[in-house]
Amino acid sequence: MSKVAFSQESLSEFERIVAQYPERRAAMLPTLYLAEKEFGHISPEVEVYVGELLQVPAIKVREVLTFYTLFASKPRGKLHFQVCRGISCDLRGCTKIIEHLQEKLNLNSEETSADLAYTLSEVECLGACETAPMMQLNDDYHGDLTTETVDLILDEKK
Amino acid sequence: MVKVTIDGIEIEIPKGTTVIQAAEQAGIEIPRYCYHPGLSIVGVCRICLVEIERMPKLQVACYTPATEGMVVHTNTEQVLEARQAVMEFLLVNHPLDCPVCDQAGECWLQNFYMQHALHDSRMFENKVKKSKALQIGPNVMLDSERCILCSRCVRFCDEISKSNELGIFNRGDRAELQPYPGTELDNDYSGNTIDICPVGALTDRDFRFRTRVWYLSETESICPGCSTGCNINVHHNDQRTYKAGGSRVSRLKPRYNPDVNEWWMCDAGRYGFTHVDADSRILAPTRSIGEEQEMSWGEAASEIMTKLREVISVHGKESVGVILSPQMTNEDLFVARRFFRDGLGLKHIDFEVAPLTTGAKDDFLIKADKNPNTAGARLLGVGARQGSGMTVAEMLEAARKRKLRALYICHHDLANGFAVDVVEEALTAQDLVVFQGPNTNSTSALAHYVLPAAAFVEKTGSFTNYAERVQMIHTAVTPLGESKADWQIFRSLAKEAAISVPYFEAEDVFQALTAEVEAFSGLPYAGLAGQGIALRDGQALPESETVVA
Ligand code: SF4
Ligand code: SF4
Ligand code: FES
Repeated sequence: MSKVAFSQESLSEFERIVAQYPERRAAMLPTLYLAEKEFGHISPEVEVYVGELLQVPAIKVREVLTFYTLFASKPRGKLHFQVCRGISCDLRGCTKIIEHLQEKLNLNSEETSADLAYTLSEVECLGACETAPMMQLNDDYHGDLTTETVDLILDEKK
Repeated sequence: MVKVTIDGIEIEIPKGTTVIQAAEQAGIEIPRYCYHPGLSIVGVCRICLVEIERMPKLQVACYTPATEGMVVHTNTEQVLEARQAVMEFLLVNHPLDCPVCDQAGECWLQNFYMQHALHDSRMFENKVKKSKALQIGPNVMLDSERCILCSRCVRFCDEISKSNELGIFNRGDRAELQPYPGTELDNDYSGNTIDICPVGALTDRDFRFRTRVWYLSETESICPGCSTGCNINVHHNDQRTYKAGGSRVSRLKPRYNPDVNEWWMCDAGRYGFTHVDADSRILAPTRSIGEEQEMSWGEAASEIMTKLREVISVHGKESVGVILSPQMTNEDLFVARRFFRDGLGLKHIDFEVAPLTTGAKDDFLIKADKNPNTAGARLLGVGARQGSGMTVAEMLEAARKRKLRALYICHHDLANGFAVDVVEEALTAQDLVVFQGPNTNSTSALAHYVLPAAAFVEKTGSFTNYAERVQMIHTAVTPLGESKADWQIFRSLAKEAAISVPYFEAEDVFQALTAEVEAFSGLPYAGLAGQGIALRDGQALPESETVVA
């Protein structure tokens, strides 16, 4: 038995999701998404738990989890900055944005602050070239970034 | 049935047959990595691409069902180009370390490169580094850089051993085959992953670096590890015997038999051949009364027969016990029967020794009865259960009380079935104890005469498996030292006793056996090689009947 479990609310959401698929294991992605929401990241214990829910060995969960870079298998900060490194953003100066964030957050890219407040990642094209340079902060896109607008966003979110 | 044409050859095949299988039946081998007939089909490696008329793009032969009227080409320019491209992709990050790779010589990357690619590398980028020489289980080594991610091993662990140890993590050029963190590739069938890995990613810890595969010869045989009788090939090293510490048998590999083991064998059987080249092998007939002394076969036979006749003349035929073994072939047991029962007229003959600890078993291949020929011995009627003589246990009891005066014991280490002091008391109370077998053990240590029997890889004969399927072993290497097949030893003794055993080859014995023993009657010797013949048309005995209880 796994050491973690969904809240009652997530559990009923899971049941709703799983009912939509012909096979339990087919609900892997939405279940992982739900689990990430509930637990913050997919730890090995969560992996086992998701496997139990979907009635597949935990290793099958891990295969899917590691295939998708968008899932967090390590703890992530409350604010997740994903700065686009695509070619348009690069041409429009994303390096400066990244350096600025590194300085402000006192983090290297791909790091999470010890207090789990921030995570900084560099990612491939997020498909919003018209607003380059841009980043995704948690679920929202922020475009036409300058160091000043980054500061504004930071002040607002802190 | 549907009709398809492959490279101009028209064949008829059952509906649902895939193009790759259909081609095989037409005698055309389409290259493959991920496809394995014993596993589910995934179509991930793309090396099997073929052209199918009226389909716009190349199709994977392993996944595509052959349909009525389909016209397939496996050798067009387009197909060859595609194969070459697939090979080029597979080799992008491959370390090309063939000179130090154990798979070299039986590697499908090498083979298909030579057959279908032969391109010069266009890669200037650095190759992705991954873990090498990683021990992922008791029997298996992993070299991730060589893995082509065909997922055969993963599917084996999911579908055959059902133990789910292996997975492919991450993606793209970072994708890597690994066991689940914190676990090992440790199941009763793990060695099969090495067989089916088409490249040098999974190699055998036992076999690694012992010999290059091109020095090996191959002989068809049967695993003697349990009553399933998995079909195997014995790989032996005849050319470079000074390698690998002088061991002649290098490895055992499963041999396909759809009615017995399909493509697989268990690890216990696979790695269970070491006794063949072990120091414990008996090399010459030996007298162990007082000082140990080696003797010639002639001396040994005449001395043993003299003593045996003495015992019989003083104490009667009922004073001799013969313990045969279900490790012996049908031929060995038949000659034993002819010599001991029909010739000398002895009554107390048995072969079954119930082990003190019951053998492991599962519902796949592994049987609790760790002998290859229990069914054969029963059918030949050489057990106490089949005759009216004493069981082995009764013999030991009678021997202790000196009601028996001589014991002739084949192969058994009686300590596996009885308390050590029971065996010791019984054997030391005898006027004559003869032990015959390939290796010394605690029983041979108590014998007056020790005779060297050939190991299973050193002789030809047949075993009858639990389902009463008669299957052949063949001589892979010459008998070590003076050893010879059990039936030949009985023949030498019989000669001394003027009992006729008119056989020169195992085949002669087999012919006599089929003529005399009802259960085997009509069995054609020639038909035994390869897949063997089921006596009861594949009808398996219930396990309770076949396991030595
Ligand atoms: S280790 Fe071998 S069998 Fe397993 S995925 Fe890699 S190449 Fe295939
Ligand atoms: S299942 Fe039995 S016969 Fe088959 S390989 Fe294992 S020990 Fe040998
Ligand atoms: S053998 Fe067909 S795709 Fe691998």
